[in-house]
Amino acid sequence: MSTQRLATVLMGALPILFVLAIWQALCSFGFAPPSLLPPPGKVFLRLAQQLGSLGFLDDILATMIRLFAGFLIAVVLGVGIGLAAAVVPAINAVVRPLVQVLAPLPKVALYPALIILFGFDHASKITLVTLDALFPILLSTYYGASMVEQKLVWSALAAGTPRWQILFKVIAPAALPSILTGCRIGLVISCIVVFLAEMISSTDGLGHLLVGAARTFQTVDMFVPLITISLLGLMLNGLLYGLRKYLLRGFPEV
Amino acid sequence: MRDKVRKLSSPSERRSTGGRMQVPLRPEIDTGTGATSDERARAMIEIDRVSKRFETSGRKSHLALADINLTVNDGAFVSILGPSGCGKSTLLYIVGGFVAPSEGVARMKGAAITGPGPDRGPVFQEFALFPWKTVLGNVMYGLRQQGVKRTEAEAQSLRLIEMVGLKGFEHFYPKELSGGMKQRVAIARTLAYRPSVLLMDEPFGALDAHTRTRLQNDLLNIWERDRKTVLFVTHSVEEAVFLSDKVVVMTRAPGRIKEIVDIDLSRPRVRAELLLDSRYQKYVVDIERMIDDGRDDAEHP
Ligand SMILES: Nc1ncnc2c1ncn2[C@@H]1O[C@H](COP(=O)(O)OP(=O)(O)OP(=O)(O)O)[C@@H](O)[C@H]1O
Ligand SMILES: [Mg+2]
Repeated sequence: MSTQRLATVLMGALPILFVLAIWQALCSFGFAPPSLLPPPGKVFLRLAQQLGSLGFLDDILATMIRLFAGFLIAVVLGVGIGLAAAVVPAINAVVRPLVQVLAPLPKVALYPALIILFGFDHASKITLVTLDALFPILLSTYYGASMVEQKLVWSALAAGTPRWQILFKVIAPAALPSILTGCRIGLVISCIVVFLAEMISSTDGLGHLLVGAARTFQTVDMFVPLITISLLGLMLNGLLYGLRKYLLRGFPEV
Repeated sequence: MRDKVRKLSSPSERRSTGGRMQVPLRPEIDTGTGATSDERARAMIEIDRVSKRFETSGRKSHLALADINLTVNDGAFVSILGPSGCGKSTLLYIVGGFVAPSEGVARMKGAAITGPGPDRGPVFQEFALFPWKTVLGNVMYGLRQQGVKRTEAEAQSLRLIEMVGLKGFEHFYPKELSGGMKQRVAIARTLAYRPSVLLMDEPFGALDAHTRTRLQNDLLNIWERDRKTVLFVTHSVEEAVFLSDKVVVMTRAPGRIKEIVDIDLSRPRVRAELLLDSRYQKYVVDIERMIDDGRDDAEHP
């Protein structure tokens, strides 16, 4: 069992190692000048050094706070509104047109307005992350909850479950696979958007570090925040995967 | 409510006394389906001029059930046979309170059925087990809903799981069980909250012949012990005759009752004996012929 697990982890690491190898090859064979594309060894060395500096950790912390806050608010709102719309036709009638109008909107276009409203600090970035992560979570929750097998609901009603409890006792748990899929998409989007927001306007955070380094042509320092956010995403995704595996242990095909 | 809880909280007592008390009860039902016992037996379910019309997308509405009249007595085992799409499931759903009739009324112990309730326990062909709950969790669900304490519900459920032959699988999830095992869990889950009527929709339809025979025998044993009223939909004539007091034969859509056959075979029924019994064979052949007649009608109107 544990060797099998190890094998799957190694298999997952292979493509990443492959990309690193190409990166290294591009540098070694002189296809890319080191001033534009620093070799991976140099970048990871700098990352290791930076992890020892308090300033860098502060930037990571700022990014993580925005990421988590934005994502969690999106989960609460998305799951709540999605379930409510699936169960109450009146709510659906209000939510559906709003979603249709707002979902395709590029949320980043609202960012200037958010900065004017909430300032340069956490609030504007958290709001942007929430806005972008909300819709995938809301939509997959809604569809998951609308497609719950009717006989599950009937079985629960016949067993004496009051109608108002059906939402929590049957629909939400039955829709859990879709909800968690939505969360996974939302998490990836959150990682992208928090970085983007910090690049556009910020005084701290990983995105801000990247912009700062780019302005002074410090290419190694440019790649460090990039690698950091993708490692962060990888870790969070792994956590969510574990949570999913645990919560969905009874469901087929997970 | 409190009454219900008390009744539920002493299953072993109820089961054992029930078992003993059945002896005097049985001859009454055995001797049959004649007028005297019909008069004495109480009507559990009355289906009174029920029709069901579905508004279908696109084409005009579809009449699924037309003018169904059926009375099911307390403790009777009644099977419904009929061609696919004739409305058997729909009829069961109406009695379950999941679907409202378009016309007419279905009554349970004299009161009109307006919604689902724990007095009528459905067993669906698709099992419909809760995938996020273990076998034990599924079986316990109804008891917990009735307000039975966790430890007590667990103890009762474990006994029931043993009774349906799944001891040792309490902590398995439905996806880890075979079709026959899932169906046993579904039956146990419904039996757990002690409905007075079981509504079974082709419960053994998806099973292989061997498992099917075993589950039929198990169901008969359970039924002879508890004497629940059973409304049982099936496609198998043999199954219907083997299990039932009455077999209801329905016509092709719109579903009407074509004939009601009283099955006058003694209980407890033993499969090996019954298969050789000429009366059993005659019931099977007669009912198969009724269903075939229906087919001819449809083909040459
Ligand atoms: N929700 C629904 N909406 C529209 N039509 C329906 C609906 N449910 C059932 N019907 C129609 O009602 C008729 C009876 O359906 P039902 O499922 O009761 O048949 P059945 O006798 O149980 O068939 P089978 O033996 O194949 O299970 C069918 O023609 C079906 O198309
Ligand atoms: Mg059916």
